[in-house]
Amino acid sequence: MAEMNVTSANKAVLTIGDSAPNAVPGAAAGMVIPLVQDITVSAAPGTVRYSVLSSASSSAFTTVNENSISLNMLVDELFMFGDSTKSNQVHVDGLFKTSADKTEVFFSVSFNGAAGTTGEIYVSGKGFIGGLAPSAAVDAAVWLSPMEIIVNGELAKTET
Amino acid sequence: MAIRDDFITQITTDISGYTNFRVSSELPFDSGGNSLYIKNKKTVYVNTVREEQIQLYRTMDQNSVYQTQSIVQAFLTVDAKNQPSNIDDVIQAILNAKNVVTSPQLTEALVDNDIEDDYITYTFEYTILQT
Repeated sequence: MAEMNVTSANKAVLTIGDSAPNAVPGAAAGMVIPLVQDITVSAAPGTVRYSVLSSASSSAFTTVNENSISLNMLVDELFMFGDSTKSNQVHVDGLFKTSADKTEVFFSVSFNGAAGTTGEIYVSGKGFIGGLAPSAAVDAAVWLSPMEIIVNGELAKTET
Repeated sequence: MAIRDDFITQITTDISGYTNFRVSSELPFDSGGNSLYIKNKKTVYVNTVREEQIQLYRTMDQNSVYQTQSIVQAFLTVDAKNQPSNIDDVIQAILNAKNVVTSPQLTEALVDNDIEDDYITYTFEYTILQT
């Protein structure tokens, strides 16, 4: 048994880039999303159920996979609205503009270990940023927002 | 100390219209194991600020957002059997001193009382939350 703990800051890290190399964990130009409260990697195969008269139970066949990354975060100004000093275009534009412009991004989610170390496992892919809904409340003190990456294509697992 | 000074100034202003009531800025307000607000009735004593850092949000990259909770207590003792006729107004005025803090997340004020022998001690507690 080898549970994958998330007790250090370099695990469960979402990195976004304007190209696949810039989205690899530890990439110098990678946009590492800060202040994430929770993150979910969803790899869900589509299914269709059908019934036949000769069986008391329904049957199923699979269709295409529908993959997504969803998370909740505290809003960081330079990540939400852009940082002109960066070389990664997604970071220059910020999450909000990238979502509004429907720009395709590349991403990776590191599961364990420090970026670039042997044995690190991460999943990667490309997709579109959506689901941003910054909200503020008098008791909340800071802006909070959910976010989703609607994956375009398949998630790939990489072990370094 | 700034918050305590602000409260002393505000309470002084708020109760200035009530005869015989005053505010002391003395520290400590204890003499020979006895609280001075029991000895000096109708005098408000304001304690030093007690602060606490409360974790509001925890994130996976080990950053946190904290909220600072500051608590200021004030004490007032009067004769329990023959309370001043305007004591309710005085209590309300002292509670209203919470408004001296102008940019908090939240300011609350409450009052509790304790009767001992022939006197009653009102304990005021102001709670200020700031991020």
